[in-house]
Amino acid sequence: MAPDQWNAVALDSQIRASSSNPVIVNDYALALWRSASGEVNAWEDRCPHRGMRLSLGFVEGEKLRCIYHGWGYGPDGQCKVIPAHPDLTPPKTICAQRHAVESRYGLIWTNLAEDPHARLPDLGADDGWEAVRSIFLNYAVQDARKAVMDDLVGWNGALSDGDVVTLELPDGTTLAAAFQPVDAGSTGVHFVARGPAVSAEGRHGLARQVVQLRARIENN
Amino acid sequence: MKITLYDYSLSGSCYKVRLMLGFLGLEYERRQVDFYPGRQHKTPGFLAINPLGQLPVLEDNGLVLRDAQAILCHLANKYDGDGTWLPRDPASFGPVMMWLMFAGGELMAASSARLHDVMSYDLDIEAARKSARSAFRVLDDHLTHREIDGGTWIMGDHPTVADLACFPYVALSGDGGIGHEEYPAIRNWLREFRKLPGFHAMSGISEYV
Repeated sequence: MAPDQWNAVALDSQIRASSSNPVIVNDYALALWRSASGEVNAWEDRCPHRGMRLSLGFVEGEKLRCIYHGWGYGPDGQCKVIPAHPDLTPPKTICAQRHAVESRYGLIWTNLAEDPHARLPDLGADDGWEAVRSIFLNYAVQDARKAVMDDLVGWNGALSDGDVVTLELPDGTTLAAAFQPVDAGSTGVHFVARGPAVSAEGRHGLARQVVQLRARIENN
Repeated sequence: MKITLYDYSLSGSCYKVRLMLGFLGLEYERRQVDFYPGRQHKTPGFLAINPLGQLPVLEDNGLVLRDAQAILCHLANKYDGDGTWLPRDPASFGPVMMWLMFAGGELMAASSARLHDVMSYDLDIEAARKSARSAFRVLDDHLTHREIDGGTWIMGDHPTVADLACFPYVALSGDGGIGHEEYPAIRNWLREFRKLPGFHAMSGISEYV
């Protein structure tokens, strides 16, 4: 059974309207898709029809269509369209497996628990967070977290541990790192920032620093 | 004017030339070469056309050209009057060439992985995937910075031969066991490329976006 735990799985800005994306969290494959109107959905990456990955599908308005036979699913997970049987109302039993998903602090979070009660990490106000970038490290999540913490100690700023690691930079910008356990050998780290340094120029600078962090961790 | 493409449907390198010919609206004759399993590209008849024994080859009014990247540049240079696919301004030309060489160089590791998985090539698959992932990361890092500037393409505000040359083997990498999970900026770039007017698909790449 999946733990009742929220994990950041992507930068909100990188999951575009009308797109379906492959995401792996705790060895579990998700199709993270955003409808034309901007609603984000996190579903098991598996079409109920023939098991095709829904992350290979395409979005049509508010429906996700499977690339294999074109079956279309609404945001409630229910199959609405079967192109080979245009006059058929698909039975209620044909339903994609949905998971809890939230967009906050410029990040997209999922919770794979059947009945999630845990609260999202609290980073204060939701507004003003901007994407810096994501990186992927070839470590299990606890090792990746330690490596990132150990590196951030060397940055000029005040470091705080938590579900999300934050660093208060001298100019008042907060840099936050949220962790995505992918599998035993891979972890995603999603960086967002809030404050004076979130101009395009500032984000370029922070993104370059994050790439350098990744290089230092991998060279260790 | 007569253009002939020595072609193999499942080749990403041939596909990039077909895409370029399509984007430029050029008529051409396709001469199918049985690359796999026939290995026709290694027969004396084909080696007389391309001594390197590689696809694609383009014949254009008697000019015989090999190397997909060279062919893209030839077609853009000769037939794209606006110079949008092959920018000549000094600020763009160098970077476009740089990413074009990357497409024919580092990125071909993704092709190797696919040749192993799909066409039974005997090669070090783990080494190929590792090299391909390194190359993908370089491209994803670049496109991440482009996204911060609101940009979509590898260079400038429209697609160039650099995007075209990089597209096929990145898009087809799942065939070689390399997913796109770790490359969010690449995913967005691939999707935008597939939306281009005149885009057409090949086996393994969907035209539905």
